[in-house]
Amino acid sequence: MAVKIRLKRMGQKKAPFYRIVVADSRAPRDGKFIEEIGTYDPTKQPSAFSVNEEAAKKWLSNGAQPTETVSKILKNAGIK
Amino acid sequence: MKNTTLNKSSREKENNQSSNRNGMEEIDKIVELSLLYDFYGELLKEHNKQIFEDYILNDLTLSEIADEQGISRQGVHDIVKRCSKQLSVYEEKLRLMDKFILTKQKVNQINELANKVKESGDLSHVEAIIELTNTILEDL
Repeated sequence: MAVKIRLKRMGQKKAPFYRIVVADSRAPRDGKFIEEIGTYDPTKQPSAFSVNEEAAKKWLSNGAQPTETVSKILKNAGIK
Repeated sequence: MKNTTLNKSSREKENNQSSNRNGMEEIDKIVELSLLYDFYGELLKEHNKQIFEDYILNDLTLSEIADEQGISRQGVHDIVKRCSKQLSVYEEKLRLMDKFILTKQKVNQINELANKVKESGDLSHVEAIIELTNTILEDL
């Protein structure tokens, strides 16, 4: 099963909030995800992100592919 | 006290902060586009709106969207680009997002100041609160 790590926009209108989720790449539109491994909150100053490092590393080593955006966040968090 | 007001006082400050973070500019861009979408997304054509949502809000890749929609990757790219442009044009003309951000910052400052007054009973902040409310009223 091909698995991707994506940024998923949550939050109300005009108050963006993101989750970093692990999801099956074959059903990109159904919105289901396997595990939440972090969050990103751009409304904080400076914007705050938290990543569950252990889970992220586990998924990455199992071949989960992060999107470009998530790659950047992981790099920023010092994980990749 | 001075520090907290400085912290949230201007968007220049915010810009400085974001440019300090490596590689985060693109993410800032996505956040900005998703905020623009909150304001003007309903004005996009339904088909384009769906593609824009998938790309900006759900972080799907161009090729994933292309497969899903049965169009070319280039086609998806063009639609996302066109939608972004369209949303920016609405913002240029209507300034709803800009006003929203500015007003929110000021209300946050008022909130902080009012809490200080409540805690300390020091009425010297009231002047600043009045000034902030005046600028908000002027901008409306």
